[in-house]
Amino acid sequence: MGRRVVAAAALGATCLLSLALAAEDGSAVGEDAHVVVAFAAEPTQIDPTRTSAGVDQYFMALFYEQLLAAGPDLTQRNWLAESWRLFERDGIWLIGVELRRGVRFHNGDELTAHDLRYCYLRQRDPGLSRQAGRWRHVADVRVLGDYELEIVFKGLPDSALLPLNLDLWAIPRRYYEEVGNDGVQAHPIGTGPWKFVSRSVREEIVVERFDDYWDPDSLPGVRRLTIKIIPEDTTRVAAFKTGAVDWIDAVPPAQVADFERTSGVKVVSLPTSNNLFLALNALDPRSPLGDVRVRRAVAHAIDFEAIIRYILHGQGVRTVQVTPGAPGHDPALRPYVFDPDRSRALLRQAGYGRGINVNCYNLTTPREPYLKEVGEAMFAYLTAAGIRCRIVQLEYGAWINLGRRDARPEMDGIASWMWGHGAFGDPTDPWGGHLHSYGDGWGWYSYHDDPELDEMVETLRVTVDPEAKESLIRELARLKHERVAGGVPTYRPLVTLAWRDRLRFVPWPQANWRMMRDIGLAADSPAR
Amino acid sequence: MAEGRVTSDHPKTGARTVTLVARGRATRVPVVSCVVLGLVLLCAVAGPWFAPHEASEIALAESMTPPFWRSGGSLDHPLGTDMLGRDILSRIIAGARVSVTVAVYAIALSGGIGAALGISAGYFGGIADAVISRLIDIQMSIPAIPLAMLFAAVLPPGEGMVITIIVLTYWTWYARIVRGEVLSLRERDFITVARVAGVSNPMILIRHLTPNVLNTLLVLATLQFGSVIVFEAGLSFLGLGIQPPQVSWGGMLADGRNFIEVAWWLITMPGIAIMASCLASNLLGDWLRDTFDPKRRIT
Amino acid sequence: MRAYLIRRLWQGAVAVLGALLIVFVAQRLAGDPVALLLPMDASEEDFAAMREALGLDGPLPVQFVVFLRDVFTGDFGESYQWQAPAMPLLLERLPATLELALAGLVFALLLAVPLGVLSAVYRGRWVDRLAKVLALLGQAMPGFWVGLLLILFLAVRLQWLPAFGREGPLHLVLPAIALGWYPVAAMTRTLRSSMLDILDSDYIRTGRVMGLPERTVIWRYALRNAAVPLATMIGVYFANMLGGAFVIEVVFAWPGVGRAVVDAVFARDFPVVQAGVVLSAVIFVVVNLLVDLSYGLIDPRIRHG
Repeated sequence: MGRRVVAAAALGATCLLSLALAAEDGSAVGEDAHVVVAFAAEPTQIDPTRTSAGVDQYFMALFYEQLLAAGPDLTQRNWLAESWRLFERDGIWLIGVELRRGVRFHNGDELTAHDLRYCYLRQRDPGLSRQAGRWRHVADVRVLGDYELEIVFKGLPDSALLPLNLDLWAIPRRYYEEVGNDGVQAHPIGTGPWKFVSRSVREEIVVERFDDYWDPDSLPGVRRLTIKIIPEDTTRVAAFKTGAVDWIDAVPPAQVADFERTSGVKVVSLPTSNNLFLALNALDPRSPLGDVRVRRAVAHAIDFEAIIRYILHGQGVRTVQVTPGAPGHDPALRPYVFDPDRSRALLRQAGYGRGINVNCYNLTTPREPYLKEVGEAMFAYLTAAGIRCRIVQLEYGAWINLGRRDARPEMDGIASWMWGHGAFGDPTDPWGGHLHSYGDGWGWYSYHDDPELDEMVETLRVTVDPEAKESLIRELARLKHERVAGGVPTYRPLVTLAWRDRLRFVPWPQANWRMMRDIGLAADSPAR
Repeated sequence: MAEGRVTSDHPKTGARTVTLVARGRATRVPVVSCVVLGLVLLCAVAGPWFAPHEASEIALAESMTPPFWRSGGSLDHPLGTDMLGRDILSRIIAGARVSVTVAVYAIALSGGIGAALGISAGYFGGIADAVISRLIDIQMSIPAIPLAMLFAAVLPPGEGMVITIIVLTYWTWYARIVRGEVLSLRERDFITVARVAGVSNPMILIRHLTPNVLNTLLVLATLQFGSVIVFEAGLSFLGLGIQPPQVSWGGMLADGRNFIEVAWWLITMPGIAIMASCLASNLLGDWLRDTFDPKRRIT
Repeated sequence: MRAYLIRRLWQGAVAVLGALLIVFVAQRLAGDPVALLLPMDASEEDFAAMREALGLDGPLPVQFVVFLRDVFTGDFGESYQWQAPAMPLLLERLPATLELALAGLVFALLLAVPLGVLSAVYRGRWVDRLAKVLALLGQAMPGFWVGLLLILFLAVRLQWLPAFGREGPLHLVLPAIALGWYPVAAMTRTLRSSMLDILDSDYIRTGRVMGLPERTVIWRYALRNAAVPLATMIGVYFANMLGGAFVIEVVFAWPGVGRAVVDAVFARDFPVVQAGVVLSAVIFVVVNLLVDLSYGLIDPRIRHG
């Protein structure tokens, strides 16, 4: 009798299981294929004029385009601009741009110079944009015709605009005025190769190929793309291994070797443009971190080589101020060596023989691999050297909030921080944001106040001559390093992407290599 | 049955001791439970003296060392190391301290508050009973985990917050059961006699009622110990409880979660510690209950 | 029956009101409720407007009334993480959570009913002992740890079942086991003891004397009656499992209410947190109410007077 019950239960369970199995679906093939990919981190903003963090690029890059763009080989090329030139007229510098014709938005409107001027007006409005300060050198963006515009500087040109691809985004003015900010966030419309279909926050975004894209030769090879948001490493990896998704970003460093050994899977590790550093609040000269010796003690206390080797499994590049390969990179500038005894000695010299207590904010976003573990290791090293950390864990949103000025509570100690240096590694704009003191559109994440450095950053901003710019960057980097100003640079993470070889995928540098432009089925003939 | 019990009308104390001894001989379960709990307490009190390593000491070169019986493992780190090369065994020992501290405070506070309210409600009845019973109903109508999240969102995280949440969740448990107990005790002869003899209310509460619910409280506290450990581990696992650098078993599980594919010991060892202490406290609690209260009036 | 209904409705209302009071107190506990409810970069004008909207200039009881008014109009504030009203964000995710809790309940019953019955019938035999061990483990192994072990063994090692996400019925299996794990112990125990009582009763003895097959006696008559105490607990379990689902959702990346609320706690997105707490309290109360009212359906011998 008891046996019968068990048998019945087993039968029931089997039925349930087979039902469940039957529910697994097959997927479409060819042109109509639907590809599902997974990202570890999710943007909070899609509107390029309201972006607050680099992660926002992940979705923005699907829909919105700029006048210039970096290609897979990291060279800058004309994009929505047919041509452009920087020139001087009566002591005033200008950038003249001629637009590509026949570029359409997803709603059918044609892109004109008015849309770009509208973008400029939004970008420079501090009520909307966090980056309003970037436009301080620009007097106006003038429309000369439907396909012609001029960026007019107040005097000298802004050297940060060039590596930012002129920082103007093709946004549809008419649509923006019609639906407002919330409408744009709910249903973004741009000129990019993907059209918005639907989004479910913290779950997924679904996009469809935009068949009227201006460059039909470079259309994605699949009709539909679903990007799932799977922050947990294990979950994302499992989703890939079980075939639920065909492409993932941020393969956990500990598993990269395993992925590389798996057949049928392509793996590529690429340096991100994200520069990580420890932000130190040095604003109060009487506080321990206001003393350069204490800041140097911080820099000497942490064994970054070990962190990169053992925690990141080599998936990181040690950085000292400027990214290798970027303008102004100075190989002679060496990082602070790991030497806890020196740290303790420096603390003693600064009058803190018994060490200091400090709040340490640990960013725990899945944005880059193992940030939480790296943070804990850094803070453990600091604690061991007498810089005793009280760790506060920060999720991405809370971290963004912490960085806001007049935020409550303010970042009052040490925080793990990151700042993208763009595809070309030019530090001009980032230094304006976290090295230059706060105020007047500068330093919106800065915890440093050094008038001499401020002046140099300001000069750098208007230096366009490549040689002059490089030597200025080198000099600034040296002083920044010496004074431990604008934080202690740590490393630049590599991001590892993996996809099943039934896919064809070429990484583009937009959105830190997550741009889903050159993607299709491997069986198809290549798009170009 | 000749065993003395609180349910008898004569609240003797001598008989109880005899019972404990008699029962103790009968089964090994409470002994084993006591040994396990003793070990946990020992770790909590004296852990730093015998832990092989310092719990927060990192050794990156030794990161992800497996337990000693696996290839690559060593007796230097018997249960292996985590991502930062921290010794798992030492961290489990350090975690015991947090678990026990939280449990002791939480049990004392929720037991104290719950018992006081339960005794008052049961003995005085009337408005006091109505108000306290309603409070219990309200408290019990909010599921514990969401409530914990509410407080985690407004209070600074850490031991204090965890204790607050546990006290808020568990006081009703004591209050409800003690109230029921007192309701039945109130009608007993020895209380009636005391009342008739003109003993004052506070005196009755302290001298006659409290000693008679002590057994119940002891059982509840023992059972709650395991429960608190699991609850604290859950909160810390979510990242809402104990914060690093303080070590907690739940936090260790959360840390290990992302490495489940490369280091199974990170998510098994701390779990075993949780399970063992909880199991021991439940078994001991059950045994105490059977001993004090064979009719099982305590849930 | 009607009087009973009214009394239960009243109790439920008081309980929900109490939950709201707790949320209200928690808001004030943190100091300035405005700072909790507004994004950190809100302007002074935003602050002043919110202060006025919450009636913060008035005395506390007035503030509570304002709070209640907002709640009853469904206004829990705007999630600043996602720039959308908080409650609809959660309601969107409610089906996933209910699905998980229901699956957990089904798993628990699938295990507890046969175990409870068999351990009563074969009292003291191996089934009974197995049930006891399972019960002990059930209480000592936290659900989230069971979840991690299931992922380790069944998903990562053996690759039998998917570990994460909500794609189809198969994805429900592991989270349901992890969630249903805990109540199995108490359910089995409850059923076992009521079975023992019933099997010992005249009612059953009569059935046996009348020559009904033992199978019929146990599974039809005895179980039907013994299930009443269990059934009365099911509501409580289901409601508790909704709370427990909050943790299990995080373990299995299940896109439900709990995960959203945990995320919100980390993002300091208080409107979502308070909406989540109120939502779970309301569900808890409603489920218990429904269960109470349905006792009569399960056992006709119970009449509400």
